[in-house]
Amino acid sequence: MSQHRKINRRQFLTTVGAAIGAPYIIPSDVLGSQERPSANGRLTIALIGSGGRGRGLLQEIRKSQIAKQVELVAVCDVDESRLADAAKWESRWARREVIPYLDYRYILERKDVDAVVIATPDHWHGVQTVHSAQCGKHIYVEKPACCTIEEGKAMVAAVKSNKIACQVGSQGRSQPEAYIAHRYLVNGNVGHIDRVWCFHYNSPSDDNPVPDSDPPPGLDWDMWLGPLRWRLYNQRYLHGIFRWMLESGGGQIRDRGAHVMSCAMWWMGADGTGPVTVEATGTSPTKGLWDSAVTMHVTYTFKNPDWVIIWDQETGNAPTAEERKDDEDPIVRPGYGAVYHGTKGTFTHWGGDGGTWAERKAREWAPPAGAKDVYKSPGHWEDWFECIKTGRKPIMNIEAAVGVANLCILGNLSFMLGRKLQWDQAKQEIVADEQARRLMSRPQRHPYLL
Amino acid sequence: MSESKAEKSPVEDLIARIKDKDDKVRAEAWLNAGKIGAPAVKPLAAVMSDEDFEIARAAKRGLWQIVRYVGRPGADNERKAVVAELVPLLRDGQPVGVRREVMWMASEIGGDESVEPVAALLSNAELREDARMVLQRLPGEKSLAALRRGLEAVPQEFKFNIAESLRARGVKVAGFPSQKLAPTRKTNVKATE
Repeated sequence: MSQHRKINRRQFLTTVGAAIGAPYIIPSDVLGSQERPSANGRLTIALIGSGGRGRGLLQEIRKSQIAKQVELVAVCDVDESRLADAAKWESRWARREVIPYLDYRYILERKDVDAVVIATPDHWHGVQTVHSAQCGKHIYVEKPACCTIEEGKAMVAAVKSNKIACQVGSQGRSQPEAYIAHRYLVNGNVGHIDRVWCFHYNSPSDDNPVPDSDPPPGLDWDMWLGPLRWRLYNQRYLHGIFRWMLESGGGQIRDRGAHVMSCAMWWMGADGTGPVTVEATGTSPTKGLWDSAVTMHVTYTFKNPDWVIIWDQETGNAPTAEERKDDEDPIVRPGYGAVYHGTKGTFTHWGGDGGTWAERKAREWAPPAGAKDVYKSPGHWEDWFECIKTGRKPIMNIEAAVGVANLCILGNLSFMLGRKLQWDQAKQEIVADEQARRLMSRPQRHPYLL
Repeated sequence: MSESKAEKSPVEDLIARIKDKDDKVRAEAWLNAGKIGAPAVKPLAAVMSDEDFEIARAAKRGLWQIVRYVGRPGADNERKAVVAELVPLLRDGQPVGVRREVMWMASEIGGDESVEPVAALLSNAELREDARMVLQRLPGEKSLAALRRGLEAVPQEFKFNIAESLRARGVKVAGFPSQKLAPTRKTNVKATE
């Protein structure tokens, strides 16, 4: 293991700033009162959740290591086969030990870890974000931010009170064509927008149900469940397929809705606002463990200004993707996106996550003199690094991300309950429905508590 | 329609369709169970232990449909009738899996009448953690009092759990500090082979 030069946080931020090549001012409240040592002048980070999406994020982490922005010192997973793979491959790549942990709380105890990247199943995001913030770590957490309304409130409070930079992984906001789309829309090219129609294909159903069984060797089932109430293991919970359970992944609406509706809230200037009513209908799987809606239609009604978001989850409803020339970035995920309906026309984008493709007319629009400009993200990771330096809010900051996740949560609650819900944005609560109000939170299993 | 089918009550018809071998027939049945309400609670709970796990799952989903339907605003009488059927299912003699699921149903639509049967499960090692969580969710002074009594009565190692529920309900609890940031799980995985 290499000998780490002991430097303080101010020194490593200077080094990172030089690597990015951007001027900056470091407010003292961003640095915090602790002067913690760091490795080789870089941001010292750990990955929590090293399979699936975590594996993809390891590629981003490698790029940032090459750019001398970060140093990965630890990985964590509750599945020891995935943990062993990540530790082995990242240690080999870095030519030094990347320490494996099964329990993320050992990472939070390490004073030399400045930041964590959280890529665990969704039901862990709230608890791990709150704990990481309380331990003073900067956070990159995958979307959706939260699974319940109360989790979201706790995340916002923890990030705010601990003065850390938290970026949520709805990276569609940081894509080059997202900037083009945003700029096109805020300059009134389709007029006043009163409807955003989000399209997506169906959630899958479990066509191969299996009975409960013992968990496989090497999987810590208790830690995988974490805050969820206890139940026997079933193969159809994991890996990755947790997404099709309402309580853990929440189906397509919480998985991709956290991308497509993130773009909508950003481009519409609606972060910090919320709907007044949410009404969902849909179809359920006829068999198997998974219970998220197969097809789903949700209407979110906003007031002052008046507009609606429609979540239309039904295979076959997507508009035909535009043809692109050979030298243009191809649309490889045409099955989801959104159409913005304005008084002067429409605008369509496809994707909305790591791939976001704007309709040609927006890409060909040349802003006239005096046109409004919008924030252009340097990239989702780079935006996070800059926020760690400067103290400004990330492009997908926790407040915005919780707002988007709340849309997804409310859509699912309306579907589960089979009725329209009323939402009080100022109070951040459902009104006039006692059962729905109780479902704004979910008591968590000890000790995996917010 | 055959004469025998015509004579079936809505509950009998529901249970027959829940037990059907065709998943589409079962789904149609559980999706429409809500309006049948309280009379279907015990029959569905009985099928939740069926040896065919897909039939058991259909019964469970039917029962949840009822809970979600009667929990709607303005349906207080229907809700109370269903809760009255759920509460006896928490008692000894029912399978653990049924009692656990029914507790969570009560957490959504139950009131003071659900508190004592749930609190009694704090003495059941298999079910006490679910009981604690459900008491935390059930609103009102009665559930809070049950948690306070629970803190006195439960084994020492479980007092930490109850203390957290009391804190979540806004009560200051001395002792039993939070364990949430204390790591417990070691691994034998090494960075290098």
